[in-house]
Amino acid sequence: MVTKKQKRINWILVAVLLVLSIFFLFPVIWMLANSFKPDAAITADMNSIAAFIPPAPDGSFFDNYVQIITNTSFLRYMVNTLLYAAILIVLSIVVNGLAGYALAKIRFPFRDQWLMIIIMLLIVPTETVITIHFLIIAKAGLLNTIVGYILPLIVNPFNIFLFRQVFVSLPDDVYEAAQLDFCGPVKYFFTMVLPMSKTVVATVSVFTFLNVWNDYLWPSLVFTSSDLLTAQIGLNSITSNENTTMGQTLAVITLITIPVIIIYSLFSKQIVEGVTSTGSKEG
Amino acid sequence: MKKKNSIMGMAFFGPALVLLTLFLFLPMLLTFGFSFTDYFALNPELTHFVGLENYLNIFKDDLFVQSFFNTVKFVVIIVPLQCGGALLLALAINKAAHCKKYFKVAFFVPVVMSLAVVSTLWMQIYSPEGILNTLLANFGIDAQPFIYSAGQALPSIAIMSVWQGVGYQMIIFLGGLQNINPALYEAAEMDHASGWQKFKDITLPELKPLCVFVFITVTIGAFRMLVQPMVMTGGGPDHSTYTIVYDIYETGTVNWEMGLASTMAIVFTVFVVILTIIQNVLTKDKEERKHGNKKAKAN
Repeated sequence: MVTKKQKRINWILVAVLLVLSIFFLFPVIWMLANSFKPDAAITADMNSIAAFIPPAPDGSFFDNYVQIITNTSFLRYMVNTLLYAAILIVLSIVVNGLAGYALAKIRFPFRDQWLMIIIMLLIVPTETVITIHFLIIAKAGLLNTIVGYILPLIVNPFNIFLFRQVFVSLPDDVYEAAQLDFCGPVKYFFTMVLPMSKTVVATVSVFTFLNVWNDYLWPSLVFTSSDLLTAQIGLNSITSNENTTMGQTLAVITLITIPVIIIYSLFSKQIVEGVTSTGSKEG
Repeated sequence: MKKKNSIMGMAFFGPALVLLTLFLFLPMLLTFGFSFTDYFALNPELTHFVGLENYLNIFKDDLFVQSFFNTVKFVVIIVPLQCGGALLLALAINKAAHCKKYFKVAFFVPVVMSLAVVSTLWMQIYSPEGILNTLLANFGIDAQPFIYSAGQALPSIAIMSVWQGVGYQMIIFLGGLQNINPALYEAAEMDHASGWQKFKDITLPELKPLCVFVFITVTIGAFRMLVQPMVMTGGGPDHSTYTIVYDIYETGTVNWEMGLASTMAIVFTVFVVILTIIQNVLTKDKEERKHGNKKAKAN
């Protein structure tokens, strides 16, 4: 079926894409290669192809990385962020999951109206309320605390809606059987419903992690103490320090991206499905 | 049974409801209410009701007007580049006979990096003696100031944002292309349709709802521009990269003028909501027609 002409076009297409992808990736390649060099070498290599090639591995290969880890609080910021992400993943699954279950399966008063309101809330951009969040957290005396950072982030209309859509298709008879048992509704939720819905639990966990890891505005508002900073905000305080070299800056931003790369490679299927399904569902 | 259901419903929905009230309903009401006052958070006793004054004043405020037009400029540069770029990449990768997987990953890599990381990286790339100016010098192009000049800062940040985001929409388009029924193309081939005809009569119409979705989400995303100028230029030089959200944030949390900030937030939200409604109307129409067709066929 494939004609000779089509075959040639395909090859040209691949060649063009290859060249394009190299140009497209040049900032990333430059970042990786130079994160292993002292500043003198970065400047010296700038005008040659060496700018895109890492130095020969020797004793000082990881110097920039070692400097960042030993001389700055960067590891601490990473641990902070992982901790916040872990807390928020658990709380969002519990709070949004329970709410999603109520909206899907329990016939309580005004349920359908609540569902409508949740769907309408999906439109409201976070920027609308973020200054008021700041005001509320400040008035409550919770600025610069982990609680103040976490509280406004727990509930998420999108996650409630996501859970509801999955739970609605669960069979009812299992639930009725559980009613007869000693198994209370809450226990039933945690021991039956959540384990039956691993996919949505994984999706919510992954996206919560990415949100916490990449968020910039909210943590920069809440945290002023250097002990509590998240990695993204800590990055700013490290790179704006005069003693930080260019090579160290490149090493920090490489380090900060590693956890996200791990998440993307472990869950690439779920993420790509999530990305494409938002497109096809809403589109 | 009914009573039991309402108790249980509230027990399950309650925690979320409390947090929704505290961090969504109450803030939305407060934002709306504050927007008609001169609420100054450091001196709340002196608050007056000022009616629509804020709404009239922000459009006379040079800084807000500038930030509004800056944001529009971001949208105008980013939307066509990012939507068009993503569509072209997806079409090319979909057609490519080899290295498909590599291409998908390569163009997706910047999406994985956070906005703060990308901004920090590109500050180095855009620096006066940086790698980009060095590369340009090899082609005989003079050193450019990029983010350090009022003229170039905004387009420089916009292009970086396109670089960062284009892979995301590319994946959405690739998903859409794979969902097109291959039978449509087979039928077209039997009719000896040319490649262009197939693209024009099958691919584009099939992708249209997705194009609307991508167009609106990219527009809203560009409209929310904040982190990149915050990290790279602080809104400068000469406020040339100051955006609406940046203005809301500084007015509210740095200057504590919550009344004014709320007014800006309401104006911003109205724009976003209008865009979302347009998207829903445009895409729903299409879906209903599709379902209508299916029903008609079933009959």
